[in-house]
Amino acid sequence: MSRRAFPAALALAALLLPAAALAKVRVAASTTDLASIANSVGGEQVEVFSIAKPNADPHRIEALPSYMVKVSRAQVFLEVGLQLDQWADAIIDGSRNDKVLKVDCSQGVNVLEKPAKVDASMGDVHPNGNPHYWLDPRNGAIAARNIAEGLARVDPAHAAEFRARAEAFGKDCDAAYERGKAVAAKLPGRAIFTYHRSWPYFADAFGLEVVDTVEPVPGIPPTARHLSDLVQVAKARKVALLLQEPYFSQDGGQFLARQAGVRVVTASSACDADAAGSYLAHFDALFRLLEGGATR
Amino acid sequence: MRASSLLAGATALCAVLALATSTRAGVVNPNISLIGQPVLRWTDAPGDPARERFVLDAGETELMLDSYLNPYAYGTAVLSFSDGAVDVEEAFFQILRGLPAGLGIKGGKYRVGFGKLNPAHPHTYPFADRPHVLAAYLPGSDSFDDTGLQVSEQLALPHDVALTASADWLQGDSFRVPRASTGLANDPLVTAGAGRDGDRALEPRPAGLARLSAFVPIGDRSGLELGSSYPQGTNNVAAATRTSVLGGDAKLKYWTSANAYVLVQAEALALDREQAGWDGAAAAYTRTTVRPSGGYAFVDMNFNPRYDAGASFERFQDPAAGGANASAVGAFAGLALMEETTSFRLGWERYLPAHAAGVPAPDAVNTVTVRVLWSMGPHKAHQF
Repeated sequence: MSRRAFPAALALAALLLPAAALAKVRVAASTTDLASIANSVGGEQVEVFSIAKPNADPHRIEALPSYMVKVSRAQVFLEVGLQLDQWADAIIDGSRNDKVLKVDCSQGVNVLEKPAKVDASMGDVHPNGNPHYWLDPRNGAIAARNIAEGLARVDPAHAAEFRARAEAFGKDCDAAYERGKAVAAKLPGRAIFTYHRSWPYFADAFGLEVVDTVEPVPGIPPTARHLSDLVQVAKARKVALLLQEPYFSQDGGQFLARQAGVRVVTASSACDADAAGSYLAHFDALFRLLEGGATR
Repeated sequence: MRASSLLAGATALCAVLALATSTRAGVVNPNISLIGQPVLRWTDAPGDPARERFVLDAGETELMLDSYLNPYAYGTAVLSFSDGAVDVEEAFFQILRGLPAGLGIKGGKYRVGFGKLNPAHPHTYPFADRPHVLAAYLPGSDSFDDTGLQVSEQLALPHDVALTASADWLQGDSFRVPRASTGLANDPLVTAGAGRDGDRALEPRPAGLARLSAFVPIGDRSGLELGSSYPQGTNNVAAATRTSVLGGDAKLKYWTSANAYVLVQAEALALDREQAGWDGAAAAYTRTTVRPSGGYAFVDMNFNPRYDAGASFERFQDPAAGGANASAVGAFAGLALMEETTSFRLGWERYLPAHAAGVPAPDAVNTVTVRVLWSMGPHKAHQF
């Protein structure tokens, strides 16, 4: 390449770069987990952002106009589904985007805790079942397939790549599952408490038993009597660990730590970032915490 | 009138409940929410028959129905039950998507989008009653609501700043200000006879509202919204007198931790109202113009989803007192028993009414309220 041709090619590349960026499928995701999976599946063909961050309760996200602005530019919206992210509809409606494709990532998941009957006396029970399915990496693989199909509808030219990456991601999820099982098998105690009913998929996948929750029913803070009952349960069942998200009150956990020696492990149920790899790395991080936290 | 209103309300409620039990919820049924807000009030206001006594009142109970009408439109109706009467507080449709250039349309009866407080229902306020300045300056009795059609546009600016512009064409009935009869023989209020529409208040005169607002995100969850609103309408048809209000508003919500935030909100208003009178000698309407201004501000600290506390302040020139200054300070706190469906709100306000220069200042009026908010129905997304 001549000395003149090189800068010209560089300038042309710089001009074409924004066009290439525009060609990416713009994806909005309710959570960082779905965003991370979308980045793994979409690769260079997608531009992804998440709305709920790991330090915020995903049940209670405010429909900010800035989210609506972002979603107004999106071609795909990835929902957790099962009525966890009901706020997503308000954001999508507010965006006035009539082209965005909604993908319910829960499709095909074996849903746990489907209630036979729901009323408010049972707390904030999700009528279609527990929505925290992403905490089983095998369900991450299902979400990846749903995402691949959604991306394929919007960008058929790259459909084969999306599906291939989803398959590869599924294998990574299987590996994470096997890794987690191996670590969980070595934990000294399998009986755990959780603050909210966020972890049944995690427990189910890795052979842990959620003996009880700090919330007497979902969404309702603990009473003194319930905490007192949990102390007895912890002693009787040798519950050594409480797993809870950082956005829930620490008071109940501190009480259980004092009265029953329960070790409180604070961890978000969502992964740290939108980046590819973050979703699977979250499981490794959780097990590192459990390994450290499961011993009294 | 009251019996027929109650009958209409009971019929509507029965129809809704019958629909809810006979068909599958969530498929063809609208969302149904019921919000009750009984209140215990104590005031030392002179002349109040309940002065320095606790009064328990059922308050206003709201029944809200809302649902998608089709993939493009949404419908909302709010019925309020208060003092034995039923009122259609709001009933409107919204076209959410599918219009060219991202336009949105809203039509029907609704709380007009002036500022940040008026469009919201009072049960969402952290304090008991709306600020006096809004009651004094805005059209309408309990709130500025009207029947109309709104067209809005939302523009995406760099850094995810959302700019929203809207224009409302309103029926304008809420702008009417009743004129006191002079008693003169040629005053239209007298010549028309008792109970007749001497000032032609029932004749329609369209009104309008323009609003521009910008939301600036701060980090992931916090944000600042700045807005300006300008409604104008006819307050006396026969005298062709007009009311306009220029308003500016600011709302800052700043999350200080995963569960705690501080909310700072303020509005400034400038009223421009032509007041109709009657000149018996000239047998003509007279016009005098008042241009008072004022505003309110409050800070609400939300320590976690269950507890909050804050303070409010307002100061305004009262048009009913010749433009003399009135002011109020208040403090409030809220406690959600378990979560937001059952909460208690405690409020205290000290209101200093306006008084003309040279006249002894009236006593300040203290009011204490304890309000219980209970609600049943689906949880909705919280809006900024």
